[in-house]
Amino acid sequence: MNIDKKEDNFSNDTEERPPRSPAEWITFGISLVILATVIGAIGYTWVERNRQEQDPVLSVISNKNSIREVNDQFYIPFEVTNDGAETAESVQVLAELEIDGKVVESGEQQVDFLSKGEREEGAFIFSRNPRSGKLTIRIASYKKS
Amino acid sequence: MGSRKQRQNAWKKEIDDLIRGACGGFLFGIPLLYTMEVWWIGSSVTPLIMAVALVLTFIVVFLLNKTEGFRKSGQNGRPYEAVTDTVEAMAIGIVCSTLILLVLRELTFDTALKEAVGKIVFESVPFTLGVALANKFLQGTRTSSSNSESSESKPHQRQKNGELNDTLSDIGATLIGATFIAFNIAPTDEVSMLAAAVSPPWLLATLVASLLISYGIVFAAGFSDQKKRRQQRGIFQRPWSETIFAYLVSLVAAAMMLLFFQQLRFNDPWTMWLDHALILGLPASIGGAAGRLAV
Repeated sequence: MNIDKKEDNFSNDTEERPPRSPAEWITFGISLVILATVIGAIGYTWVERNRQEQDPVLSVISNKNSIREVNDQFYIPFEVTNDGAETAESVQVLAELEIDGKVVESGEQQVDFLSKGEREEGAFIFSRNPRSGKLTIRIASYKKS
Repeated sequence: MGSRKQRQNAWKKEIDDLIRGACGGFLFGIPLLYTMEVWWIGSSVTPLIMAVALVLTFIVVFLLNKTEGFRKSGQNGRPYEAVTDTVEAMAIGIVCSTLILLVLRELTFDTALKEAVGKIVFESVPFTLGVALANKFLQGTRTSSSNSESSESKPHQRQKNGELNDTLSDIGATLIGATFIAFNIAPTDEVSMLAAAVSPPWLLATLVASLLISYGIVFAAGFSDQKKRRQQRGIFQRPWSETIFAYLVSLVAAAMMLLFFQQLRFNDPWTMWLDHALILGLPASIGGAAGRLAV
């Protein structure tokens, strides 16, 4: 009898104000975990940011061995990395080829965004053989975001 | 047995609610997912601003949930409901925007954590708003009840008119919806940017995501007009065949829009047509699905 009554109550409830079902609680729990993860990640990046150096630390590497020649053009691949803690905008990479003390060719490339730890690749294309002179690839400037 | 059935029902209802919320999110959030400025903001923003964005979203969505929300049950008076719904809406927004960012390759496993979190937080804002407005979105169809009533009395007439008519009206609705959402995106640079970054496996993922989401919107989310939808007769009236057919229509619509805005030309290679159309096909098919539900 008692049980019957309880069930009656239950069905009454479902009509007006259904009790929160386990399904609803479980999805809520999962949602809470997801939200907490994101909040945790924000907190982590916050702490990390305060601990590390604030500014971008940019470097560019170019391996002379990976220069390839196609149709009389020399492709010089390069790689820009940001080891700092901040994102750098408009990172400008310059390449200059000096032969006999004179700059005979130059190239410029801009990387829109380089966030912390990010690496971007690209290539300069010269018509003279970079191996026959002095090749400089450097980062000239960036904008703080 | 009874309680088991009840439990199953509860789960079914819950999953329906979640899918409905997600679909609302897709409808509202997809244009901003195709906006590179939002990715950039996400990349460069500080953790403090991210936290502020989350808090603001929470407040706005909480207020929306007080009156609207993505649940069918509406406001049944449980006072904590608006809070739990808000948490769920935000979780749906975060998960869905993360998935789409992954599919579009704006988020990869190489992305730095800070950048990834920023992108997810900022893209999830419009998504979460969409989730909270999910019921409102396709309710225009519910309020125009005079319309749906008259269509309820129509079935025999419908059958007489033949299936061709319904099929044509489906195509029309898909085109209208697809244009509505994708027209804003077609002329922008994002399509070619995304197309350049995407690799064939991820193009396939885009295709699958488009199909799943548009199926979800039309048949799984329990929006107001779905029953009518299932009754609609056309040549392609099985849920999956309709979804696939409508997807193809959306793809063609996407290609036409890109052509119209000079993003594609006739002498471009077919691979470019393919990846551009597939990339724009995602928002187009989502719009198309909403269109079929609304018309």
